[in-house]
Amino acid sequence: MTPLFGKLFDQLDARLHVRADTRKSANKVFPSNWSFLLGEVALFSLVILVLTGIFLTFFYRPNVEAVTYTGSNPVFAGRTLPAAFESIVRLSSDINGGLLFRRLHRGASHLFIATIVLHMLRILLTGAFRKPRELNYFVGIGLLTLAFGAGFTGYSLPYDSLAGTGIRIAYSELLSLPLIGDRVAFWIFGGAFPTGDVIPRFFVLHVMLLPAALIGTVGLHLFMVYRQKHTQFPRVGVDGHQLVLGKPLWPLQFAESTTLFLWTGGLLAAAAVLIPWSDVALLGPYVPGEVGNNAQPDWFLFWLEGALRIFPPIEFGIPGTLIISGPFVAGVVLPGLIFTFLAFYPFLEKWLYKLEGEWHVLQNPLEIPLRAGVMLGVFSALLLLSAAATNDILSRMLGIPIEVMTWFFRITVIVAPIVLGLGIARYARRRLNRRQRHVPSTETEAQQRYIAA
Amino acid sequence: MSDREAEQTRPDLTIVSEETPPPSQANDALVLGSAIIAALAGVGFAVGLALRTSITVYGTALAIGLLALGFGIRRYFSDLFPDIEAVEPRHPEQQATEEPVSAIAPLQRRSLLRNALIGASGVFGLSLLSPVPSLGPAPGDALRTTDWRRGTRLVTTDGEPIRADNVASGGVATVWPEGSINNEISAVILVRVGDTEFKDPTNFDWVVNNELVAYSKVCTHAGCPVGLFRETDNALFCPCHQSTFDAVRGAIPTFGPTARALPQLPLGTDAEGFLIALGDFTEQVGPAYG
Ligand code: HEM
Ligand code: FES
Repeated sequence: MTPLFGKLFDQLDARLHVRADTRKSANKVFPSNWSFLLGEVALFSLVILVLTGIFLTFFYRPNVEAVTYTGSNPVFAGRTLPAAFESIVRLSSDINGGLLFRRLHRGASHLFIATIVLHMLRILLTGAFRKPRELNYFVGIGLLTLAFGAGFTGYSLPYDSLAGTGIRIAYSELLSLPLIGDRVAFWIFGGAFPTGDVIPRFFVLHVMLLPAALIGTVGLHLFMVYRQKHTQFPRVGVDGHQLVLGKPLWPLQFAESTTLFLWTGGLLAAAAVLIPWSDVALLGPYVPGEVGNNAQPDWFLFWLEGALRIFPPIEFGIPGTLIISGPFVAGVVLPGLIFTFLAFYPFLEKWLYKLEGEWHVLQNPLEIPLRAGVMLGVFSALLLLSAAATNDILSRMLGIPIEVMTWFFRITVIVAPIVLGLGIARYARRRLNRRQRHVPSTETEAQQRYIAA
Repeated sequence: MSDREAEQTRPDLTIVSEETPPPSQANDALVLGSAIIAALAGVGFAVGLALRTSITVYGTALAIGLLALGFGIRRYFSDLFPDIEAVEPRHPEQQATEEPVSAIAPLQRRSLLRNALIGASGVFGLSLLSPVPSLGPAPGDALRTTDWRRGTRLVTTDGEPIRADNVASGGVATVWPEGSINNEISAVILVRVGDTEFKDPTNFDWVVNNELVAYSKVCTHAGCPVGLFRETDNALFCPCHQSTFDAVRGAIPTFGPTARALPQLPLGTDAEGFLIALGDFTEQVGPAYG
């Protein structure tokens, strides 16, 4: 600690009495493992999103009134465009540094969601969701939902042709809700698509409500991590149930996190130079009745897009009131079931293996057959659904008719996850049986087993 | 510093392992080097931006600056401080104490009062949802009707009316009701099929010159514009989820996720030979709604 900092701190302490608490926090121990950095990178991406988003907000125009673009972009010069799209063209072509900020923002949004998903996968595979962390696991599911919301509204704001198509499909999904669909869709969109209200409303969601909710919820998430302390991987000679082993926050954990933050920014800047994310000039503004050939959402919604594509044609009930349609089942029921299932998975495991007490030491998923099977099953299904979202491209590339491609996915999406899930669960079961073991129901038992091995 | 002194300055940290880095000139050089690079990159970023160079120039400077700074800080800290691993107790499974959360206990009163207040709060809370309908108009007929009326001319996106003999064979065109261009739900795709016969369930009364037929362009699956036409088998194709419709058989779906045909527009011609609608669609346009 430098003398100047020490003096300033003395002054602060004389007024607020923070020395003891600060020291306690500085001594807080962080277990180190690369997979623990995923959540951190997600946090840093959020910081970068907020910073770059503020710059974009100064220039973005949240409405769809027709305006004439008078800037220097040769493709759009003199053309009449929706104001939102026009402001994005101006940001990209006329505002010095605007393109850099746009690409940083776009890149950070991809990294944000990618690291959240991987972070969640780490939590699920190693069992960091068990008591006492179930509550924070729920908070995490909430964060994932908010991040998807921020990603989707952000994707819509430029009002390019892909954005318009995405908004139209979201509107149709709302319409598909039985009994209340038309009302809900009209409430959210302010009338029949494409209203002038949707962009201003998405803008408020994207720059105000969702960021505020994200920041608040992340705060809660981190507070809980701080209170409950990290889980850690097992280590010989350390009773991980009673103790947490790692580096104190100050100085080295602090230094590592600072470096990670700067490198996240550095890599995003490098990506902004190399990858022309979100080049709206290629797409053109949204025009009702027009759509490009490869209509696709952002990658993190591919699984939903795939489900919409391969779901069989069904529609029954009373049109205009109680109707059950393909888009409802594939686009509303299915994601609802997957999210609900993942949210309550911790309780399934606890019930099946009669788990007792608290759990702080992480496990190899192969030690728990249910977990190995469920995770491989669910995530392989999500990956296959995502692949199905490219069935038109695959069909063209491989020269296979689209009908065959679609049937291939219809079958594999169901069969492969079941086969893989049951297969790995069986393998895990046998692995336990070979050593004459069952799944431990307390952490003490799990610890003894680890020490014996 | 001896071990005992260390214990004294860190009484609240239980150290498991401690490694003191030896002074290293190489490390000093790395820290200094990255500091210089970071500073130069910072200048490069600012100047590059001020001179309106390209994203390649100032973006690269920004990337290099951040990476170098990160690297330097890491090297600096690992030279300045010993690498310490410590343990902290977790305090798991704290026994719940019998003590109530608040020190002030309530007196005995009738539970009716409490229940009345809880009920009232619930009712009142629900009533706060009443502004929700203000968010948008009631759907009314908006999803059931389009802007097509008897006698409405078909016009292109540029507003040109269309003569029946003016549509290229094997071609499609996006058309709108005159006066309602870009009214999404009214979008229509006009198809002139090649040498084929129309078949059921096409409404033959709405086919002009035995070759022109018009369907709603709003996909009955999730509402994308059905924009593509395959001449070989007269298939209309939706690029969003690949629903395929047969344009000579009343646009019934032949493949893909949609369950319903594209509604056929009652099509005719007026006295001057321009294409007109003979009325609104008779079936529901666009995706299913509840
Ligand atoms: C406080 C946080 C945020 C602010 C103030 C903000 C602000 C903005 C603004 C004004 C735009 C429109 C300009 C443009 O498209 O370039 C935008 C676009 C976008 N935002 Fe955000 N945003 C924030 C957080 C997020 C988050 C958390 C995500 C995703 C997880 C996200 C993803 C996107 C995407 C994908 C776009 C479209 C980018 C493009 O096409 O350029 N944003 N944001
Ligand atoms: S919207 Fe046309 S196939 Fe889905």
